[in-house]
Amino acid sequence: MNALARLDSHLKSRLEDLSKAKEHGHKIIGYAAGGFLPEELVLACGAIPLCFIQAGDNAVLRNSAAYVCRWFDPFWRSQVGYLTSGKDPYYNIVDLIVVPITDNHVRAFSNAVGFYTPEMRSFVFGVPHVKDKVALEYYRKGIGRLRKELEDFTGAEITGSRLKQSIELCNRERELFRNISLMRKRRNVNVSGRDFVALHHGSFLADKEIMIDILEQFIKEADDDDPLFSGNAPRILFTGSTLARGDSKVMDILSDNGGIIVMEEFAEGIRPYRNMVQVEGDLIARLAEAYFMDRICPGWFRPGTERLDFLIELAEEYRASGVIWYQLLYRESYKVESYFFPGILRKRAGIPMLVLESEYDAMETGPMKTRIETFMETIRG
Amino acid sequence: MLVAGVDVGAATAKTVILGDGRILGHAVNPVGYDIKSAADETSREALRKAGLSPSTKNFDYVVSTGYARESIEFADKTVSEIICHARGVHYLIPSARFIIDMGGQDSKAIEIGEEGNIVDFVMNDKCAAGTGRFLEVMAHILHVASMDAMGPLALGSKEPCPISSTCTVFAETEVVVLRARGKDRKDLIAGVHKAVASRVAVMAANLACRPVAVFTGGVAKNAGVKKYLEEEFKTEFLVPEEPQITGALGAALIAQAQLLRK
Repeated sequence: MNALARLDSHLKSRLEDLSKAKEHGHKIIGYAAGGFLPEELVLACGAIPLCFIQAGDNAVLRNSAAYVCRWFDPFWRSQVGYLTSGKDPYYNIVDLIVVPITDNHVRAFSNAVGFYTPEMRSFVFGVPHVKDKVALEYYRKGIGRLRKELEDFTGAEITGSRLKQSIELCNRERELFRNISLMRKRRNVNVSGRDFVALHHGSFLADKEIMIDILEQFIKEADDDDPLFSGNAPRILFTGSTLARGDSKVMDILSDNGGIIVMEEFAEGIRPYRNMVQVEGDLIARLAEAYFMDRICPGWFRPGTERLDFLIELAEEYRASGVIWYQLLYRESYKVESYFFPGILRKRAGIPMLVLESEYDAMETGPMKTRIETFMETIRG
Repeated sequence: MLVAGVDVGAATAKTVILGDGRILGHAVNPVGYDIKSAADETSREALRKAGLSPSTKNFDYVVSTGYARESIEFADKTVSEIICHARGVHYLIPSARFIIDMGGQDSKAIEIGEEGNIVDFVMNDKCAAGTGRFLEVMAHILHVASMDAMGPLALGSKEPCPISSTCTVFAETEVVVLRARGKDRKDLIAGVHKAVASRVAVMAANLACRPVAVFTGGVAKNAGVKKYLEEEFKTEFLVPEEPQITGALGAALIAQAQLLRK
């Protein structure tokens, strides 16, 4: 069985496995996407982390309309829809929901958890938008409070040695994702965007050790396989706010038009994998540095130029011939940047950018196809 | 060698037939409900106009375009309408560098290069403002027979009424209120045209509008929109003799190139 088939098979039995784990006293900790929750803390107290990453179904958005106003990001409205409708079984199995709040859209979800499912225990901490010492300290205190909450909830102490072990485990997963990503720098690429994204999405739900094994297998298979794409295919840097599990339309259209994604950069849907967490000294401080300070968050923290420079660096490093910017309707911070970034990108990297916007709506596929097809033609010249 | 380009948009179906590099015939028909029949009937009409037997089986190669391009069963290939408009306009006006295409459901701005290649483009989002549909709605509430008939009336205005709403539904309400206040009909019609042109200019603000600029699509037949587009972009817009068929023409040119490549 190849690595992706193994992942698929593991996820098929995952809910059953989680139920059994619960029977054996393990707590299941669900958390909001965005990459600001150190899974190490959850693992270090013997609990199981699960990230809510499903979206893309318009029917779930309609469910959410009774609970949250329409002018919120459809991904976060979807989370409210799943929470209140029970349509995502992972919401039904968790014992505690943790929400690191980065913006108002995430806050709307955290409010929904508290208000509409008061029986569900939840924990919230804030993520600042400015990268300085004060903000780092604020974030460090937030995850410090989370540590205490997890210890109280599970009854297990997060000792230094257990936390170190968990960090090493998560570092291994990050390292493997990084190695796969580096393979995509090659001229003849042998890892498709869809497979890389499927691994990320799977990793938010899978057992950590099994996932590491699957990633190791995937690397071996990819190395042995012939290239999937010729050197002439347009190479795309795919970026934006959210790439949910269940929302593959852009990737599908792009692939149908002969494009190849060589890099994905999303706040929700792609696990941060570039920075390793150091395992010396105050480990909570090390987690804060890696998850908050060192990570260049797709969420346009200040200074915004850091993010712009990073995207241009990625485009050059991965020899992208174009950028597809996929934003969700009403996620205004991305919308703001999407106005001026194409000009900067063209000037500094000499490549074009296509902006696409979605509300998980069936009618948007046609115009999206027209835009992507034309964009591919623009790149090919 | 007989090839065709079929462009099925929201309001009309267009077919252009090329034979040995020359335009042999074309036809434009309303789409109605049955898209496939509209494409088929329009293609047969174009064949009749070209003096050929009216069967789509006569085509050696067909490229379909437009939002319903994938529903055309007799097409050999589908190509996006933006690419087709660029090719069609380049064929008719080789010096063209900028295109505004306004159809029934969408509008596009396209920057093209010397070879008719696309340099950059932009398309309207999910919104009817800045499209033919907006003008049709306004023609209805202003009691003008058609969208095209509004153009000459707009040109007669000396003081266009500002229409501030950018949403078709809200703009309709605004026009109804202004009409109740006794505003001159010509000024209201001119205001509507100015609003459409302004909407498209905002959409295309990040593109370079270099001469020669060309205006295509069904709305290009409306002289009022052309006038206000020229004011907004501060440049003259050329309108091809039949501005609705540039997409189908581009598709036919691509069909011809495909056949030659075989």
